[in-house]
Amino acid sequence: MSTANPPVATRPIRTTRRRILGDGPDQATPDRPLLVLHDVTMRYPNGKLALRDVDLVIPEGDFVFLVGPSGAGKSTLSKLLIRDEVATRGEVVLDGQDLARLPRRQVPRLRRKIGIVFQDFKLLPSKTVWENVAFALEVTGTPRRHIAPAVDRVLALVGLTAQAAQVPAQLSGGEQQRTAIARALVHDPRLIIADEPTGNLDPLISWEILQLLLRINELGVTVLMATHNAEVVTALRRRVVALEEGRIIRDEIGGAYHRED
Amino acid sequence: MLSFVAFSLSRAWQGFWRNAMMSLAATATMVLMLLLLAGFWIMQTGLLAGLQFTEQKVEVVGYLQPNAQVNQVDALRGRLLAMPQVAAVAYVDRETALLRFRASMAAQGREDLTRYLDSNPLYASLEVKLVDPSDLGTVADALRAEPIVRNVINIEDLVERVLTVTNILRTAGTVVLLIVAIIVLFIIVNTIRLAVLARAEEIEIMRLVGASDAFIRWPFVFEGAFVGLLGALFALGLLAAVADPISGFLVDFFRVLPLQFGSLRRDLVVLVTGAGIGLGVLGSWLSIRTYLIR
Repeated sequence: MSTANPPVATRPIRTTRRRILGDGPDQATPDRPLLVLHDVTMRYPNGKLALRDVDLVIPEGDFVFLVGPSGAGKSTLSKLLIRDEVATRGEVVLDGQDLARLPRRQVPRLRRKIGIVFQDFKLLPSKTVWENVAFALEVTGTPRRHIAPAVDRVLALVGLTAQAAQVPAQLSGGEQQRTAIARALVHDPRLIIADEPTGNLDPLISWEILQLLLRINELGVTVLMATHNAEVVTALRRRVVALEEGRIIRDEIGGAYHRED
Repeated sequence: MLSFVAFSLSRAWQGFWRNAMMSLAATATMVLMLLLLAGFWIMQTGLLAGLQFTEQKVEVVGYLQPNAQVNQVDALRGRLLAMPQVAAVAYVDRETALLRFRASMAAQGREDLTRYLDSNPLYASLEVKLVDPSDLGTVADALRAEPIVRNVINIEDLVERVLTVTNILRTAGTVVLLIVAIIVLFIIVNTIRLAVLARAEEIEIMRLVGASDAFIRWPFVFEGAFVGLLGALFALGLLAAVADPISGFLVDFFRVLPLQFGSLRRDLVVLVTGAGIGLGVLGSWLSIRTYLIR
């Protein structure tokens, strides 16, 4: 428990988020962090211990790098946040909701507060950029008349208005990832989880994607980015949470990829 | 609600055509399996009709005393008809019995010896048809107890043997049909499972963007129903195309049996359509469950 109670970000918590969809009340409250993990342990049914005694507090509007070797527990952490898995022990509280007590029926509603971006983009190859983004709204029962304006707005935000009618195969890797980011954003989420978003991209494009995530963070969306990209992490000097063998071994504001002593 | 159904139906339609190869493969499997099921159903129906016809042939014949009065015979007939085991009672008078005897002799090409007789040697009889041939003993005993009944021919052993055979055939037919139905069920469910598996990534994305279970499930269920309906229509079309030659063959085969094929046609449409849609829905429902329950 030496790493318990990590330092909370010194920046003031943003209390106003500019809404991307432009409707709905703003639920951010200054005295409530967006995400709290308390004493979380995750043991898979096969006995593998993926997370041990993890404590983590992420205030609304934060930008956090999650670093660590493969198998350190980064993906497990993401799965806990979207309640793909339930922690064996401890509490995962997102936006005031204890995810272990969240009824199954409420899980889709939780996931609409979170946008996820993957290394392999996970776009549907037979749909255009526009359709891929609209898909996220269609399958969550958004009224048809609200879909088009929201999709146009996020595509403009990620700079893909001109490519809206193309299918993923016609796009570059960076454009595909921007499509995935647009899809993650179209629900106007509170939190973006980016799992190695630059893993398949060359350095220049990686910077482009990172600039985009920073801009989204500027709009008030909390960003949690798992990455192996040391250069990016060290250059940006944001909050860095380092995982190793399921434990948080370091949590510092303005940190580098590697420990600096 | 209505827009949800419209959404699911349009997604099902898109899903079917966007994965045309997989959907058509599933439909083709559905057609073949439904034909297999229909074929065995037709065989089972023919078998049951044949067995029923055979069993209907079982009747108890009570020969009457020559001095029995008309009102006595009528009273006996009434008593027999009142028995729950009795389906029908026919009175055969002596003249009719003689005519039948002569006709049967003529049919066998044998000489009619009765013309040398100066009087009719045959007895009048009551032919009792049974609801269930296994009640033969009861009815025969009741007849024997009647004073105006001269004798009852004892065919209990023979009937028992016939019933043993028909029951075995009936059970065997049902078992075979059930086995075929189970095989069809497994093959169709697995084919649809493959079609759903091909779209695992789409389902995964739907889950991640926060689609509720209903929004994920129903398009696939409708798609399964669509595959089933399409398969059923194809299978029924093929059956209709071969119906005439087949029924001609069946009529030849069962020439002696006055089988009723009128309701078979209706039953087949209901069976094939119902099985197609039902299996399509079941297959999708089971396949999609794997992705929803965590």
